[in-house]
Amino acid sequence: MTSLVSPTTSHPFEAVIQRLEQGQSMLPDSPTNLLEVVGILESYGYVLNAYEINLRYIADQQFLVLFPFFKYMNGDVTLPRLLKHWWHDRINYEFAEYCMKAMLWHGGGGLDAYLDSPEFIERANQAIAAKTAGNFIVQGFNKLSPEFLLEQVRQMCYYRALGQFWEIMSRMFLTLADRYYRGEIKSIPDVVHHVKDGLVADAATPITYTVNIKGKAYDIIPKSVGLTFLVDTAIPYVEAVFYRSLPFMGTLSYNAQAQQVPSDQGDFVYGALYADPIPAGGAGIPPTLLAKDMIRHLPPYLLEYHKTFGRGESDLSVKAIQSFQKSMFCVTSAAILGLAPHPWDTADPAERAANRKHFEAWVDRLVESGSRLSRVQD
Amino acid sequence: MLSALIWIPILGAIIVGLLPLESKQSRWVTLAISLIPCLVSGVLMGQFDPSLADLQFLENLPWLEDLGLSYRLGLDGLSLLLVILNALLTVVAVYITPADILRARLYYPLVLVINAGVAGAFLSHNLLLFFLFYELELIPLYLLISIWGGERRAYAGTKFLIYTAISGILVLAGFLGLTWLSHAPSFEYNPLISQGLPMTAQLLLLGSIIVGFGIKIPLFPFHTWLPDAHVEASTPISVLLAGVLLKLGTYGLLRFGLGLFPEAWAVLAPYLAWWAVVSVLFGALAAIAQTDMKKMVAYSSIGHMGFVLLAAAAATPVALIGTVFQMVAHGLISGLLFLLVGVVYKKTKTRDIMVLKGLLNPERGLPLIGSLMVLGVMASAGMPGMVGFISEFLIFRGSFAAYPVQTLLCMVGTGLTAVYFLLLVNRTFFGRLPEEFTNLPVVSWGERVPGIILGLIIVILGLQPSWMVRWTETTITAMGNDATIVANKIALPKAAALSSPDPLLID
Repeated sequence: MTSLVSPTTSHPFEAVIQRLEQGQSMLPDSPTNLLEVVGILESYGYVLNAYEINLRYIADQQFLVLFPFFKYMNGDVTLPRLLKHWWHDRINYEFAEYCMKAMLWHGGGGLDAYLDSPEFIERANQAIAAKTAGNFIVQGFNKLSPEFLLEQVRQMCYYRALGQFWEIMSRMFLTLADRYYRGEIKSIPDVVHHVKDGLVADAATPITYTVNIKGKAYDIIPKSVGLTFLVDTAIPYVEAVFYRSLPFMGTLSYNAQAQQVPSDQGDFVYGALYADPIPAGGAGIPPTLLAKDMIRHLPPYLLEYHKTFGRGESDLSVKAIQSFQKSMFCVTSAAILGLAPHPWDTADPAERAANRKHFEAWVDRLVESGSRLSRVQD
Repeated sequence: MLSALIWIPILGAIIVGLLPLESKQSRWVTLAISLIPCLVSGVLMGQFDPSLADLQFLENLPWLEDLGLSYRLGLDGLSLLLVILNALLTVVAVYITPADILRARLYYPLVLVINAGVAGAFLSHNLLLFFLFYELELIPLYLLISIWGGERRAYAGTKFLIYTAISGILVLAGFLGLTWLSHAPSFEYNPLISQGLPMTAQLLLLGSIIVGFGIKIPLFPFHTWLPDAHVEASTPISVLLAGVLLKLGTYGLLRFGLGLFPEAWAVLAPYLAWWAVVSVLFGALAAIAQTDMKKMVAYSSIGHMGFVLLAAAAATPVALIGTVFQMVAHGLISGLLFLLVGVVYKKTKTRDIMVLKGLLNPERGLPLIGSLMVLGVMASAGMPGMVGFISEFLIFRGSFAAYPVQTLLCMVGTGLTAVYFLLLVNRTFFGRLPEEFTNLPVVSWGERVPGIILGLIIVILGLQPSWMVRWTETTITAMGNDATIVANKIALPKAAALSSPDPLLID
């Protein structure tokens, strides 16, 4: 039988590469890693569900609302809801917008290309004209600065696209949890395969955006454009949110003038695979928002596990982000496996060599750019 | 009533020392005993008439009449607040002592004896009695440093013992000389006792007393025992040392320096003001150079006690009220800072500000301790809204008319306080929590409570200074007036400095 693993090399992360060659994860397989990953992905699934509902609500119902004061209310603007919102008994939808803006800013994929196409501009302008009909002030401003509303529509497209992407991911993670409870998920490689299979299954799901203005539907992203889930949202999302992301205040002093921030945004390394979990818990730090949301939906078994070390329940935000980071290395592993030039279990030595090169390139990128890959190996 | 403040802790010390209790039980018993002087102080405060300048609750018993020693206790506006501070910080010190401390049946009695000795010193109105109490706290403190201190405890304890013993000798020499030269029948405290003495004799005696108390305060260059003692002492003892024991020096300066030698004081006052400047600036600059948090706070004490000397030199009513305010404020603030440094050390095992970082981290750091530390350093730097601001404002306002240059230079010292404490806070509490500190033990509420209480008092008295001033104003004004009258008699050129007509700013 042909070995699925290449001869041992001197690569410092040889073990990680070998796991990828075996169709496994960059995260080592262990009972606690499994418990953490499945548990946090379950809570993340619930949170993503809330995020995607809100993102789609904003895209559909808050289209070109210039002062969207109640955009996080999902149309339920009541005093009890407002009080809960102000008391911060709520989901931090700001984190979803943070991710959306990371995608918008970094671009990539077919969506980014389409949003610069003449077809999009024409379709968007039709919607803008319909939305601003009778509003002479906004029309006047639009004449003075025609790119402004257009850019707002581009942003709305990202709201919608990310909403659709997360709708699928949310379902995928909740299904993972169901399978775990049924005993079908028994290892980290099982998690990776579940995610990879899910990505492949929905790869061709179309990404569309239709907005209804005064009773008429406007196709901003029609199906005919051919944007799909995997290539046009999943891959750009991984690049924008897992790898690059945006520098955020509160953890480091990002001094662009001192060249502490790369001049090329392609070199940004502020994403989920790089985020330092320790500052989580501090106000104004995006991972804190996500951590707080996930903690609301933490499955009891993971909560019990987290209580057993560190500061028990009082440092849950940090633990949640640490677990989340592990899970993101699993999701990234699934994406890397999915993007491999050949199936991971191919027996052809040439194909295996090509796969090896592909895996090495990804691992090298993670290692050289200072990701937390080495921290999750214990 | 006043005797209760002395004898209850003494009795308590005997009980705790004799009872065969576990260290945990000894702690609770000592805590209960130390609360009694606290309650008694509260009662005394309630019954104290702030409109009277005279001594209240007088207790006078003959003791060794041949020696001129009598058991004469009294309370006035100068001592009332210090007595309360002593009782409060003793409770804090006992509370923050580790429950499993070794040789608890020796440790707690020593703390109680210190409490009794300090209370006795603040209440004594017989010079010899004061000296006895002044010396009484020396041995327990020496033992507390030398037995329960850090690695160099023996060195620090011995240094402390030698310095403060010399301090006691100088103070005693001053008292003996004053009584014998003035042919007084006893050592009873009498503000007019030095009036008949030649100026040279007065200056010599006052000089002896000033240097004696200057060691205790401590003032530059007699300060070197203090940083060592603080660094080696355990946290509760540092709290007592900075919060209460240093105040014996400043209290002594006011009561027995300014109070007994007003004429000579007026002569020496300009030099004292310059001495204050040197002490303030030295303390501040030395603090900037420190990397040990505890040493930094210790040097800050040297600087802040210099403010008291400046105000005492100016001796205007406002400045003198400032001295009392500063003594209490420094007691509370330095007590808080040492307490917090102790918690940081307990959790991180280091006090090195070049090593510590990011301790304000909300989940894995010490966020509440860090917040209290920020409050403490702001109070120490004289930020408005806190007790440190009121005391420094009173001192500078009261001293400026008499010694403008010295006052301005001391104000530079306040600015430097902000520099070194911001260095401390910035390096220690901000930034990313290093890996080696990501698993720090949790700070329990029991460890947080004393800091929160001290922090609250610091803010409350900063917002309502009149709650403190009203107890001390009459006594201090009378004291300033006495000094002014006597100094005016000899028409010293600097008498104008003492007779500043500044009205009291705070009702």
